[in-house]
Amino acid sequence: MILFFLALLALIFGSFVFQLFLPPVLLLHGAAILFAPAIYFYGCLSMPFPLTLALTFFTGTLSDLFTVPQARSHPDFPTGISIVIYLVPGLVMHGLRPLFLRNRWQTHCLLAEVGAVLTPFLLLAQYAMLSFERNEFFFSEVIFWRIVGPGLISLLIAPCVFFILTPLSHALGYRPGLPFAR
Amino acid sequence: MKSITIAAFGVFGIFVVLVLLLPQQTKHQLQSALFQWISPILRTGASVQQELGGVRGGLKRLDELERENQELKLQNEQLRATNSLLQNLESEVNRLNRALGFHEKSAFKLLSAHVLSRESATWWNFCTIDRGTKDGVATDMAVVTEDGVVGKVTTAAKDVAVVLLVSDESLRISVSIEGTPEQGIVSGTRASSTYVPDLKIRFLSKTANLKPGMKVLTAGAGGVFPSGLVVGSIKDFSVKELEGVASVTPAVDLATIQDAFVIVGQK
Repeated sequence: MILFFLALLALIFGSFVFQLFLPPVLLLHGAAILFAPAIYFYGCLSMPFPLTLALTFFTGTLSDLFTVPQARSHPDFPTGISIVIYLVPGLVMHGLRPLFLRNRWQTHCLLAEVGAVLTPFLLLAQYAMLSFERNEFFFSEVIFWRIVGPGLISLLIAPCVFFILTPLSHALGYRPGLPFAR
Repeated sequence: MKSITIAAFGVFGIFVVLVLLLPQQTKHQLQSALFQWISPILRTGASVQQELGGVRGGLKRLDELERENQELKLQNEQLRATNSLLQNLESEVNRLNRALGFHEKSAFKLLSAHVLSRESATWWNFCTIDRGTKDGVATDMAVVTEDGVVGKVTTAAKDVAVVLLVSDESLRISVSIEGTPEQGIVSGTRASSTYVPDLKIRFLSKTANLKPGMKVLTAGAGGVFPSGLVVGSIKDFSVKELEGVASVTPAVDLATIQDAFVIVGQK
């Protein structure tokens, strides 16, 4: 289990680095392609609660360090906020763990899509936080697509990520599942 | 609830609070260390992207020729940038000479840098360059091209630096409009639909007579950007309840920018 947990940490780190080189999707008004949330949500489903929290801490901190320019004074998005932002959908996904532990590919596929649907929540929460800090809230078509677009892209990405991570966890000797599902 | 769950949540809460309470300087250093750590990956990734771009363009050159060409290109751009800055400076000096009657001379020391990656973060616009503290780059240094302002350095690691682009909403620059006494604050917008984002100048007077195409220049206030650098050109002007607001097309194409110059000091 620990091996797979470490692999997840490495994959999340790698996906944040990889995302640096991915251009935004102009077709979706500049929506970003996000791999990290899909890997994180898989971790939330497959890991026990304490490790889910550790994963949340790691992912949230990295997200802020990778994507928020840390100006020296008056940050409008303090590092660490994303931990809390990631925690909420992470706990929702962890709550669905019993379904995941049934080890059926159909439920895995469904859960991957649930994760994709939760991805825009991360961006919406970031946007709400920024608007609050900058004392200006406005909504436009572009902002709508910047929030919803990554979720739509995740609908395609997340099942692939899930189907890659399952054999990886098996290869690393971690087979989460309920006794009757084995 | 199991005791281990409660304990885990407690430890998690303590760690979150600790991270949130970290001094900004420490967070800044953390980001600097992280980018320094991944700088080899960024460099490799950038060179792979460049290689792929070269293959895509059907251009195949010998290594030596390509290096020489790159060096000449950099030199050429550096000279053009210096020339552009000097021209801007000249007009600024002339204006001051005319208005105040004193003579002033200064020039900038430019450090060429290659853009390693352009982040596609949803709400922030920044890029990383292949110059860091070992080259003399420090936070709050202005980054320009021969066309105008690119942004400013927010995080400087040893080998790489993070540049907050002029299109970001959180970067605010005091500007003046060429040929008018108007001054305002330019900043990016939170989300732009295209790769050519609109900038917005606020705090202009309601009676400002601004026409499309007028040049927007840095005013020199704040100490980061020297005066006279081109930020962009006026796109349109509208009057709000308390102020005049102008939208600006940036002078630099931030989507395709490959090389930039960090103003590391004055000559």
